[in-house]
Order: sequence, then structure tokens, then C-alpha cells
Amino acid sequence: MADQLLDQLRDVVEGKIDFEGQKLAERIVNFALSLVGAIAFLAGWLLQDIKLAVYLGLVGTAAVFLIVVPPWPFFNKNPINWLPVAVVAPPVNLVIDEKMLK
Amino acid sequence: MYSSLVRVQNTFGFFTTVVCVVAALIAATDFLAPRTPSVGVIKPTNVQVVKGRPHYYSPKKEEYAIIKFSLDADLSSLFTWNTKQLFVYVTAEWPSAPGQNATNQAVIWDSIITSPSADHLANLGPIAKKKLIRSAQGKSIDPSRGKLSIRNQRPKYQITHPSGKMAEIEDVVLRVHYNVQPWVGVLTWNQDTDFFKWKAIKKNVSKRFSLPAIKKREEGGARKIDASH
Repeated sequence: MADQLLDQLRDVVEGKIDFEGQKLAERIVNFALSLVGAIAFLAGWLLQDIKLAVYLGLVGTAAVFLIVVPPWPFFNKNPINWLPVAVVAPPVNLVIDEKMLK
Repeated sequence: MYSSLVRVQNTFGFFTTVVCVVAALIAATDFLAPRTPSVGVIKPTNVQVVKGRPHYYSPKKEEYAIIKFSLDADLSSLFTWNTKQLFVYVTAEWPSAPGQNATNQAVIWDSIITSPSADHLANLGPIAKKKLIRSAQGKSIDPSRGKLSIRNQRPKYQITHPSGKMAEIEDVVLRVHYNVQPWVGVLTWNQDTDFFKWKAIKKNVSKRFSLPAIKKREEGGARKIDASH
């Protein structure tokens, strides 16, 4: 029971996501952070307010962290289906090092 | 990006890149903002030369010039969103005797004018600071702080010379200088030629004047000068 709980906790903390999710996370980070930087710069410049630029940048970055870091379900929509572990009989006539396997 | 820790590291890594780029853009906007500083009036109003000591126990007596002055200046165009503070200072300059060091220049007064975005950093007491912050409430920049009108200002610093002689020096001028200290970007220092949209400061030198002879000891004892601070 305790082992099971610990395993679950470890999975949540480690936060593994699948390959498609990793691709998506990378794209979100690049796009969203660039957008946050552009918005912070333009808003600060147009309103001539450097504090606004700093706060927009920090709040936007915090939001990106919140979206990307936890292993949200939409990062795990394409789990890899591993082949089942099966006892397979070695095929006949398999040649390894030019020796016939019996 | 397979685990939370890697995602934290990657996101933070790209965040630092974005910060650098945005900071560079902010610094670049300085060059798009016109700067047209000008000085209306810079003139000495009262000039004295007195004897004093560099510090209390010094056996050496030197002459000190006390130059009161008036200054009208419009530096409001120097305040943009990227201006952290403006450092304004007035120097006295006079030619040296032949064969001596080429320039005599000494600061007699200076002042830091903060932008509203830097008011919390101002070196003021709590009440004065609260007043300063309130004066710009709701404003992100306050160019009106760049309009200076100072009458008969006492100098912050009494000036002397390595020779200890200050009396009856001729051809002294007062000169107004400024530094723009930005939040990010280049510190502008002694800009005396036009640079694209940044115009050089106009009429920042006073007319020539002469320092008087040493002031005689007045009745009831002259004020002593301690220039060690």
C-alpha cells in the first residue's frame, strides 16, 4: 500500500509525458515566451511604463511555467504501446555467427 | 522535455534569452527618443574666496571659492520610459597658468533627479521619499522634473586648487553637465556633439567672471570652512 502511494507520488513529481507531448511542450514554450516578451516590450513602450513591461514579462513567464511544467493530461494523449512481454520460441533456422541454432 | 525538471530547465533557459532580447530592444528605443536639453540661465550670483583648512587638524591653510549660482534648464526631454535617473552637475572651469596642468575643473554642485520608476531608490528620508512618490502618483514618467529653476543656490562643494591659491583667478566659467542613467542600455556621458536625434546641450556655459580677493575677517569672527566632507 505504502509502496503504491510512493510510486504514484514519484510519478507525479517526475512528471513524465509522452513523445508527442514533449514536442507540444517545446512548441508552447518557444511560442508563448516569445509572445510574452513581445507583448511586454510593446505595451511598455507604447505606455512609456517600464514597470509594466517587467510585470507583464514576469507574470506571463509564470503562466507559461504553469502550463508547461506539470504533466497535464493533454501531454499524455499518445502513450507508447509497448509490445507485450511474451515467451516466444526461437525461430527455426536462425543463423548467428554462421552457426545453426538448434 | 520528458520530465518536469527538464521542462523547468528548458523554460527558464528560453526565458533568459527572451529577457536579453527584450532588454536590447528597450535599450534601442533610447535612440528613437529625441533629446533636446537646453540651459536658459547659468550665472554666478555671489562669489567669495575665503581661507580654510582641508580638515580640522590640518596645519595647511588653503583658499576656497564659494560660488553661488542661478540655473534655469529644460532637461525634460531626457526623461523616457528607460530613464532611471538623471545626474545634473555644475562645474567651475578656468585656464591654468602657463606651464601648468592644462585644465582646472571642479564640481561645485550636483543633483540626482529620479524618474518615477526609480523613486523607491532615491536617497531620501522616509517622509521626503513618500512625498516624492506621491508627486508622481499614476505617472510612469514625469518630464516636468527635468525643468530646473534654481535661484542663488549655495554650492554643495567649496573648491580649491592644489596650489592652495584661489583668489583673483580670472576667466572662470560655470558649465552645466548631465548624465542620463538608463534602466538598460548605455550611460550617456558628456555628449557635446549632436548624435542623430540626440542634440548636444545648448548654452550650458556661463559668461566669464573673476574670483574676488580673499574676504577679510568680519566682526565677530569669520565662518570657518571644513572641506573634509
